[in-house]
Amino acid sequence: MTRPFAKYLRAAAVMIAGLAIGLAATALSLSSGYGFNPLRAGPWTAWPSVGGADIDPYARAVIARTGEAPLGIDQGLAFVAQEDSSGAQLDGACDYQIVDPTPAARLWTIALATPHGGLIASPAGRYGFSSVDALRREGGAFEIAVARRARAGNWLSPGDARRFVLVLRLYDTPLDVGANADPASFPKIVKLKCD
Amino acid sequence: MKILDRYLDHLPWVAAMLLIAGVVHIVSVLLMPAVAPKDAYARALAAVGGAQPARLVALAPMAPGAEILPFEDPAFAEGLCVYDLSKGLLRVSAPADGEDYLAISFHALAGRLYHAITDRAAIKGKIDIVIGDGRQIEALQAATEEAPPQEVRLTAPTKRGFVLVRSFAKRPSDQARARERLNTVSCERFDPPKE
Repeated sequence: MTRPFAKYLRAAAVMIAGLAIGLAATALSLSSGYGFNPLRAGPWTAWPSVGGADIDPYARAVIARTGEAPLGIDQGLAFVAQEDSSGAQLDGACDYQIVDPTPAARLWTIALATPHGGLIASPAGRYGFSSVDALRREGGAFEIAVARRARAGNWLSPGDARRFVLVLRLYDTPLDVGANADPASFPKIVKLKCD
Repeated sequence: MKILDRYLDHLPWVAAMLLIAGVVHIVSVLLMPAVAPKDAYARALAAVGGAQPARLVALAPMAPGAEILPFEDPAFAEGLCVYDLSKGLLRVSAPADGEDYLAISFHALAGRLYHAITDRAAIKGKIDIVIGDGRQIEALQAATEEAPPQEVRLTAPTKRGFVLVRSFAKRPSDQARARERLNTVSCERFDPPKE
């Protein structure tokens, strides 16, 4: 009497568990980047296939959920850094310095963003620098300070945000997305001190 | 042996569970672009306030808390043109002086980017792109033997979608000029040629 009943119960449990595991796998895979083939260079990561016709289903699911309109692969590449060059997570309470060099591109911009891609209200009154308006030292080298307190020169402030990401965008870049990127040609994010 | 028997007893159930999990995972990933409520198209449509007929709407300068799309570069002025090809073809044209970076990308529904160019790709100083669905483009090809040399014809994968124009502002004070440049980009609907 109890035997067949137990079997149905078991089947139901298996189905529910399968559903839960499947949805958990989806949630997990969509929260970690944009699908396959990331292009990594030091702390910077880009997903070139997001801006092309060969976008994979995972990347499409991610950008449909976040609502992004990605840059086309022929237009440029957006690199996001969540960590500094030593591998520690970027922290609003710390001071950072972003230093030369940048890969070849018609122009680049470096901007702060929230982890979800929003702008950060900042006392510095700006959200980023570009290759055109960043102040440079003699010889063309530049550095950008990321700190809560005002700095001379190129200064970005994370404001009161604890978590933030840095976005490096290269426009009209000849960077080969099929090959490994050389981390030495990308800007370094150096942590100076923390409060 | 008894333990092994017990395991073998469970094996079909575990296999069934993994199978269900796999199917649920794949279906949910593939379905995500179709069901995501706030994808880029939905955001674009909300931003232009359902502006019909299709025309280019310059977006207000980006500000924290008022971002229309996430992960957009704050150094740019942006314009949107939301279209519906069931009402006719769409022509996007812009003069390209080759001086400042201008990027135009074509997005279909469900996070699909099907064409993206910058001002570098302009032919004879002009960007001129016609988009339509398969039948409209065929009719256009049949009606005009020789397309104007600078005209690019594209078949859109879905009837609805949007065109995103990004105009680079060299420095924050240059935003007004970058927005003015958006006004030189036209986005207009026209009827397919009669047979």
